[in-house]
Amino acid sequence: MISVLLNTLLAAGLYATMAYGLAIIYGVMRIINLAHAGVMMLGAYAAYALFSRFGLDPFVGLVVVAPLFFVFGVLMYAAVGRRIAGAGATPSIESLLVLFGVWLVLQNFAYVVWTGDTQSILTGYTMKSIKVAGVRLGVPSVLVFLASVGSLIFLNVLLKRTYLGKAIRAVTQNRDAALLSGVNAGRISAIAFGLGSAFAGIAGAMLATLMAFTPDFGRSFLLKAFCIIVLGGMESVTGVALGALVLAALENGLAAYTSVPTSLQDAVSFALLFIALVAFPQGLPSLFARFERRAAIR
Amino acid sequence: MKIAARLLWLAAAIFALTAPLFLERGPLNDLWNLAFAVILASAWNLLGGFAGQVSLGYSAFIGIGAYTTVLLSLKDWNPFVTLPLGALIAAIFSVIIGLPAFRLRGPYFTIATIGVAEAIRVTASTVEFTGGSSGLRMPADTFDFNANYFAMIGLAVVTVVIAAWVKRSAFGRALAAIRQDIEAAEAVGVNSTRFKLAAHALSAALVAIAGGLYAINFQYISPASVFDFRLSLSIVLMPIIGGVGTIAGPIFGALIVSTLQIKLLSIPALRDSFLFVYGGLLIVVMLFEPQGFVGLGRRIGRLVHA
Amino acid sequence: MLEVRQLSKRFGGLLALSSVDFDVNEGDVFGIIGPNGAGKTTLFSCLVGALRPTAGQVRFRGERIDRLTNPAVVKRGIVRTHQIVRPFRAMSVAENVAVAAYFGAGRRRGADAERRVREILERTSLADVAQAPAGTLTIGQLKRLEIARALATEPRVICLDEVMGGLNPSEIVGAMALIRTIRDSGVTVLMIEHHVHAVVGVSNRILVLNFGEKIAEGTPRDVLRDPAVVAAYLGDATPALEED
Repeated sequence: MISVLLNTLLAAGLYATMAYGLAIIYGVMRIINLAHAGVMMLGAYAAYALFSRFGLDPFVGLVVVAPLFFVFGVLMYAAVGRRIAGAGATPSIESLLVLFGVWLVLQNFAYVVWTGDTQSILTGYTMKSIKVAGVRLGVPSVLVFLASVGSLIFLNVLLKRTYLGKAIRAVTQNRDAALLSGVNAGRISAIAFGLGSAFAGIAGAMLATLMAFTPDFGRSFLLKAFCIIVLGGMESVTGVALGALVLAALENGLAAYTSVPTSLQDAVSFALLFIALVAFPQGLPSLFARFERRAAIR
Repeated sequence: MKIAARLLWLAAAIFALTAPLFLERGPLNDLWNLAFAVILASAWNLLGGFAGQVSLGYSAFIGIGAYTTVLLSLKDWNPFVTLPLGALIAAIFSVIIGLPAFRLRGPYFTIATIGVAEAIRVTASTVEFTGGSSGLRMPADTFDFNANYFAMIGLAVVTVVIAAWVKRSAFGRALAAIRQDIEAAEAVGVNSTRFKLAAHALSAALVAIAGGLYAINFQYISPASVFDFRLSLSIVLMPIIGGVGTIAGPIFGALIVSTLQIKLLSIPALRDSFLFVYGGLLIVVMLFEPQGFVGLGRRIGRLVHA
Repeated sequence: MLEVRQLSKRFGGLLALSSVDFDVNEGDVFGIIGPNGAGKTTLFSCLVGALRPTAGQVRFRGERIDRLTNPAVVKRGIVRTHQIVRPFRAMSVAENVAVAAYFGAGRRRGADAERRVREILERTSLADVAQAPAGTLTIGQLKRLEIARALATEPRVICLDEVMGGLNPSEIVGAMALIRTIRDSGVTVLMIEHHVHAVVGVSNRILVLNFGEKIAEGTPRDVLRDPAVVAAYLGDATPALEED
């Protein structure tokens, strides 16, 4: 039981980091960024390249990966994002497909540079594990969790305590009002893209320490990220964390308590995504809010 | 449609149907592939182009058609039964998925379809009944290229005719209204869910029959080959590049993508670049000419006439 | 013919409609007035099924319709126009109206539908732009298109949402005449309007809403004299309106 809880927690941290990159771009620009999968994949390869070329430990390398991908994100915005910012309430199909195209291009880029062979990062501690509360946990998993928590704390501080963060939150909640208050939409969007890519990049880099990867590998994680945002709502960090927790709990619970084979677990996540989209499009937090209000009326 | 255009389509159909008389196997294979692409693109266009609901999960229907035919052929069922049965199953499945999924608008629907198609692929790879990830093989002596070729061409013609008929009918107008403003459509009595389900089912059935024919022609299928996400992707790419929502668009798109694929594969240096090309095309089309080549053609036509 | 009982609609923390009651009789021209944000458009949305009421009932010719979808309500004969017009911009004017003719209560097809479309375009003075793409029309024409589309569904009740918004005085007179002809053809009319003079000129009954609540209902004369209405909505304009 403890083992399931701890594994869930570890997984949730990574998932939240992965999902937040998607959420921030959606929140600010109302665009669903399918290229997110490609950026995560590149993050994995970036960590791999830093490790195999320079011997840089992948976790230390996060310090390099994050700003690198921030810049990459801003460039992507300048090239493509600017033209497709969603004006309306729902994101447009065109933006979805353009970013899809970007994802394909990124995939091909990776194929060309690194070939389609499976790669992995093997450090001195990859195979080691430590004991926490009587449960054996892999060292990389624990480090990933710590790095995730760190990045999410950074994000929280950024959003709550800085002017930039306030601007981002304002645009997310009400774009027009924010613009009228003097927020520079272009700049905020570029930064959102940068932040989103940075988070995708580090999520990918962290994933690289946990598993082998090919240029194709972003897709199932992208779907998990969507699942999380839909479950958790796109408005808040806590919402995303909640969604991540639910998904991780479901996966680990299934693995531990049922005989559903691991290969079918992905199917479960996708089914969950589907159900979540249909049953609560506003995310779980809104469900709770509805209960609160009903109680208040009585 | 203008007389000249109509004659052109007729000539093309006649050419395709009589091709086995004078073409070698190689080019015939290319035509077969083209017909397959035309069916998929035109069928997808019914829901994706006319009604504006972009599904990235059509590989599911190819797979359903393929697996139905193979599994039942292994029990000695006749293709004349397995193909329509595959179509029926695909249509029913499309309704089951559509009922909840069509409550979603725009891109959310698209994401849901990706999820569903992936779930099916993963399930088919795991479950015993479908042969797991190693796939299934058709029984021996079911292969007949000529018969299959004619069936494929015939289906392509039928699909395009159906698309043309739908576009001009009341059904097609309803779909167009749904695409442009779904709430306004409902405000004048269009039951949008019913029409979306109908378009989805019709296109799923057509795609499934093509999938069944594919299985018979290639004699071997696996989840990786028929449920592949990249297949879903090319199905969407073709009508979009060619001109989504038109009749000629998916056909042009199929032509462009098939030709590209052949050309790219034949030049060793470019063999791995098809993702670049697909991705690049998608980006360029969406940013600069969302109406695809047909739209580009119309624009040029207006410039020329002005 | 149309009975509304205790109709309420809540959006999260906002109570847009609060226990609204009224009756509409066949042949009425029923005006609905009130300040901005009073819930008038929300009321229409709930009547036709575009929004689901939080509470209350709507009965149409004896049948309960508050839980039906918009298309289902349209097929039973109640249609609404939109305050901010929503034409199908890529289609021609005639096609816009045709969609309504096909799928409205009339369920027309083929030549029958085409004839009907032509008639309606004549009545709403849109015949000369029949083939033009809806996206190229002027606002006055677009407003008439909204009405034409609604009429093409062959409704028993038509709900007009601020059709006079943005029209100049002569256009308003034309609109009032059109409303009268609609009424004379046997269609019951509900209309939301800010031009109180216009509403008073065509309506035989008026409902006044404020903050989602009904504050008055009755003949134009009675309603305009009601002190609650004067306080909430009419203010100093009242004397000028007592011309009937």
